[in-house]
Amino acid sequence: MGTVLVVAEIQNGAIREASYELVAAAQGIDGAEVNGLVIGSGVGELASEFASKGAGKTYVVDDAAAENYNVDVWSKAIKAAAEASGAELILIANTPTGWDVAPRIAAGLDCAFTSDCIKAGAGDGGYNFVRRVFNGKLDAEVSTSGRTVATMQPGAIAPFEGSSDGGAEAVSADLSAGAKFVEIKVAESTGVDLTKADVIVSGGRGVGDPEKFPEIIQPLADVLGGAMGASRPVVDAGWLDHPYQVGSSGQVVAPKLYIAAGISGAIQHLVGMKASNFIVAINKDPDAPIFEVADIGVVADLFDIVPALTEAVGAAKG
Amino acid sequence: MKVMVCLKQVPHQDARLDVNGDGTWIQEDNIKFEINSYDTYAVEEALKLKDAGSADEVIVVSIGPDRVTQALRTALGMGADRAIHVNDDAAAGTDALATAKILAAVAKEEGADLVFAGLMADDDNASAIPPMVAELLGFPSATGVVATDFSDASVKVERELEGGALEVVDLPKPCLIAIQSGANQVRYASLKGIMQAKKKPVDVKTLADLGVADSASAAQNKTTINKIYVPPKGDTAEILSGSTDEVVGQLVTKIKELGLL
Ligand SMILES: Cc1cc2nc3c(=O)[nH]c(=O)nc-3n(C[C@H](O)[C@H](O)[C@H](O)COP(=O)(O)OP(=O)(O)OC[C@H]3O[C@@H](n4cnc5c(N)ncnc54)[C@H](O)[C@@H]3O)c2cc1C
Repeated sequence: MGTVLVVAEIQNGAIREASYELVAAAQGIDGAEVNGLVIGSGVGELASEFASKGAGKTYVVDDAAAENYNVDVWSKAIKAAAEASGAELILIANTPTGWDVAPRIAAGLDCAFTSDCIKAGAGDGGYNFVRRVFNGKLDAEVSTSGRTVATMQPGAIAPFEGSSDGGAEAVSADLSAGAKFVEIKVAESTGVDLTKADVIVSGGRGVGDPEKFPEIIQPLADVLGGAMGASRPVVDAGWLDHPYQVGSSGQVVAPKLYIAAGISGAIQHLVGMKASNFIVAINKDPDAPIFEVADIGVVADLFDIVPALTEAVGAAKG
Repeated sequence: MKVMVCLKQVPHQDARLDVNGDGTWIQEDNIKFEINSYDTYAVEEALKLKDAGSADEVIVVSIGPDRVTQALRTALGMGADRAIHVNDDAAAGTDALATAKILAAVAKEEGADLVFAGLMADDDNASAIPPMVAELLGFPSATGVVATDFSDASVKVERELEGGALEVVDLPKPCLIAIQSGANQVRYASLKGIMQAKKKPVDVKTLADLGVADSASAAQNKTTINKIYVPPKGDTAEILSGSTDEVVGQLVTKIKELGLL
């Protein structure tokens, strides 16, 4: 159904995996013709690579103005490629780039928009999607009419691994921009490095009170010889510093044992810990999405379980 | 400088989520509502500008039914100067683009020099509206902003990327900034603030007042939610049952099996 334009994103000099997930999503839409788009400076080869690895005919905006991500440059480049390809569906990964630019494209083209989808398919006069709402507690089936811009959640579907015929084709656009890129600042390293811990005990908003972290979360981490972690709201509230944060905008960890107490399991937290070898979730809500990635779940009050567990582990160590 | 803040009232983060009768949204009767958490940081960022003397006026804007007045009053209690409440049945259930058109119409009418919004809404998790409003206004925009540095002609912002990296972008004014949670420490409405807020104006407007009745109502939606449901349980955890002692006993056994004790 129509042409699907897949917008690639370059990370560390290569097309990122999430872009090949978009290719897989596009390939999975009945009757779709897949086209690619690569934006950057000196990206001719990457565009050819994208064209041959599933994206098919790939438009390329290769310009010094696109050396770094810039919202104005990207929105003009994508709109130009949408016109050139006549795309009915434009797919963008839901990354800091995707959520910055994708809604602008939809507003500019005056067309349908949906975001952070985990499934995409052909619909009746538009497209059908499944996406998460309420931080993963509910799913929504969404349909669009006419031309559509959609972002897809990274990691929701397997990346495309086949090949395709197609070459790169330059598309020109006025790339003047109001916003100016200044620099990228990388995180300063600090004393807390959760990635080295064998055991991490993380507390979430359910812990409810900054004092409870040293009182009940840290002691369990200590008795297990591990480290304490946290979800983002804990850090946002200033209860713990940023180095303790696990998740997409914090540390990505994979300890032997990860214990999550009072954490609901929003996708941004899950991507930071789901590769852990063994996951225990303690949450009073039996429907909390954290139980989807946990190996063992305890549906109970963390204020009962965590102190009792600390004591029992202490006793078992003798 | 006139500063506008877009805010959404959403179900309280601890509210019970039951699917409504026609299965297309949650049941909203008798649940608590609050200001979307991301938007509270946006209000704070605007109030900081007022404290610093660089904003002449902070206007909070929300679309929704009568209950939304409470969210606006809270923001006025925190220190915003006045509120605009778009209250119109035809705006109920508008998709992101129609909602953005309404907000852009308000920003135009007010002649806002700077628009703040939250990065995402806690209910629909869409992260859609702020960049749309910017596009409709022809403003440059930045999302996921955790720090701002204002000068006369522009704003230097830090956008959060993945893994703790930050992107610094300079936006000429007028512009739109979508704030990420944690960007600041959000003030509470003081008692004095709440008293003063009672006297602050809340303008109620319809889509017709804003000239968008034919372009931005729910009838113009291009995106529709057909069904909402608890996600099918996949490969979920083994749930331990029993008394606290029994559960803890089983956990200790498991930790031993993992070789961690
Ligand atoms: C761009 C972006 C980046 C983000 N990056 C991150 C990130 O890096 N890391 C991160 O964690 N989040 C991140 N988030 C935020 C994320 O979307 C969620 O808001 C956050 O993970 C929720 O944290 P939480 O689970 O602690 O809180 P909530 O979702 O509020 O969950 C609290 C849980 O505690 C439970 N609970 C309450 N009381 C008790 C009790 N007494 N006993 C047992 N259980 C109890 C509740 O049932 C609930 O499930 C990001 C969001 C965005 C938009």
